[in-house]
Amino acid sequence: MIDTILCALGLSYAGMASLSLAMDRHHGQVWGRDAAPNVRRVLQLAGALLLALAIWPCVAGWSATVGVVAWLGFISAGALLVALLLPYAPRLLFRSSLLAAVAALAGLVTFLR
Amino acid sequence: MNAVKVDKVVKTPQQGGLRQAMAWLHTWSGLWISWLLFAIFLTGTLAVFDDPIGHWMTPEHALEEAAHANDPPLPKVTDRGHRLELALDFMAKEHPKADMWEIWPVQRPGHGLSAYWFQPAGGYGSADLDPLTGAVIEHAREATQRETIGGHHFVDFHYELHAGRIGVWIVAITTMIMLVALVSGVITHKRIFKDFFTFRPAKGQRSWLDAHNAVAVLTLPFQFMIAYTGLAFFSDDYVPAPVVAQYGMDNPKKAFLADWNDVGKPVKTGQPLAIPALESFALRAEQAIGQDIRAVVLDNPNDASMRVCMYGWNEETDTMERISANTGRACYALATGEQVALRRPGESDTGGAGLTRAVMSNLHMVGFGGTPMRWLYFFCGLAGTAMMGTGAILFMVKRRQKSGGEFGVYTQRVYRVIACLNVATIAGLSIACVGFLWANRLIPVGIEHRAGWEVRAFFGVWFVMLVHACLRAEKRAWIEQLGLLAALCLLLPVLNVLSTGDNLVAQVARGDWESAGVELGSMAFGLLAAWGAWKVHKRKEKPVRKPAARENAAPTASLHITTEGQS
Repeated sequence: MIDTILCALGLSYAGMASLSLAMDRHHGQVWGRDAAPNVRRVLQLAGALLLALAIWPCVAGWSATVGVVAWLGFISAGALLVALLLPYAPRLLFRSSLLAAVAALAGLVTFLR
Repeated sequence: MNAVKVDKVVKTPQQGGLRQAMAWLHTWSGLWISWLLFAIFLTGTLAVFDDPIGHWMTPEHALEEAAHANDPPLPKVTDRGHRLELALDFMAKEHPKADMWEIWPVQRPGHGLSAYWFQPAGGYGSADLDPLTGAVIEHAREATQRETIGGHHFVDFHYELHAGRIGVWIVAITTMIMLVALVSGVITHKRIFKDFFTFRPAKGQRSWLDAHNAVAVLTLPFQFMIAYTGLAFFSDDYVPAPVVAQYGMDNPKKAFLADWNDVGKPVKTGQPLAIPALESFALRAEQAIGQDIRAVVLDNPNDASMRVCMYGWNEETDTMERISANTGRACYALATGEQVALRRPGESDTGGAGLTRAVMSNLHMVGFGGTPMRWLYFFCGLAGTAMMGTGAILFMVKRRQKSGGEFGVYTQRVYRVIACLNVATIAGLSIACVGFLWANRLIPVGIEHRAGWEVRAFFGVWFVMLVHACLRAEKRAWIEQLGLLAALCLLLPVLNVLSTGDNLVAQVARGDWESAGVELGSMAFGLLAAWGAWKVHKRKEKPVRKPAARENAAPTASLHITTEGQS
């Protein structure tokens, strides 16, 4: 169960972080300048993809019905975490979300098997 | 002079277009219910963990449980048929006139045997029986057993305020207004997606607004769901007209519930019929529903119309995968032995409407998904609580910088009342909640009506906090109450050591995460309260003039909290 939770939370958090960094205001908080249009597009796409992928461990760990409720809960939790980290530790947000994305994507492999 | 100001600053909702009308609606509907909603949300959030809290509040039971934690699991009951016979004998001897007999042949935990019945005159009775002899087991309350309502206090308070039906209705109206505030808040908050992740700390009013928006928007699906399912839960109370239309004016709810909960209940014929052995039906039912049998319900015993219904258990794997909490159920007409009804686990025997209702109420109560789901609900519930708290505080933070003059000459007095209620609700109620846990340890164990005294302590502490908040200056009241809250929360483990000798390290060592969780959670809240007290203490008494000057430049914004400070 714990790997299901970590995987879902990691993907939600990384996805929300990616979406936030696609916004000029938050991009500026981390790198001090606005995002280039193509960078913004990539970040948005990556964010959407990561959030969509977060359904996977939820459905695998619970079921199609309970998993969707869990997924909504996890993306809320991920977004709250991003909103709290952004003003206090923007750099940490970027690095930790990158780490979360890599670890969670690797974790997804376990659900493939 | 205030009156002159009012004309200048306050636009009526009609003047400002939809968004400002909604801002007005949001501010005022939100403000007047924010205190009650804060109380409902805080206790409702704690109610998510009512079992662990109840576990902590019955330390004698918890310690006994811990002593048996390493015992091998009890062997599966093999004499269920015999137990059913014993219980039937007991019922035939003691309650032959009851029109419903209910037997729990394998009561968990501990594999006890229990019987329940409906008296013909009304009323529900119960007895625990010895599974070997069928003799009634008398439960004399031991002197060391503390009587407590446990974590259920928070459940009861959050839906009925311990005030019965009146309380249910007050909570209903509050919840309706909450839905109004949610919708008007979304319309008012025009930059909902642009401000999605925005929180700017240490900027006074703007930070409060950011925090209010962030917790609301980010957990919006949860807030809608919990308010809506809360209303749906009591729909037969709140929306009685359809039931009356269907069943007539003469006691419609009883007829409705009989149909709803017990569709197909047979009518007595008056012809006698001997009760057959029920074990074979239990085995058939287990085949049909794929669950172990929990309860055996016999309608119209000894009558030719006699029907037996077998109910299953929801195992942990069931609740992990299904939102509907319905167990399996199979019914047999005993005159013919024919199966007359079958409900597989998770299905409903009252059709789509019944299933919808079952799912709605279980969504509200997190009866699915196990502990991880409970934690998600806990955090989303805390976000909702924060939404109420920040909203109420925001109103005062804003008015402290610039009065809206809404109440003419009484404005300052009304603000003072609002400030008192803010302190008494946000800090005061939190103190009452942890005070309830303190009362559990401090009230003598042997006292009469002990559970009632714990609840009285809760309300008593809350009332004292209200009086305190009204007597002290606002800032002092915040510091003192948050300080007290921090002390009570942080010292809860110490109280436990002094009163029961049990401590956090021992709890963790024996794997009692329910008790440890309550104490660790309490300490986390304590740290939060201490941080809050320190922040209020550091706050400068005179607000900076700059925001006020900016406000003058945009006079229409003064009433409309959520349109302020978003650029």
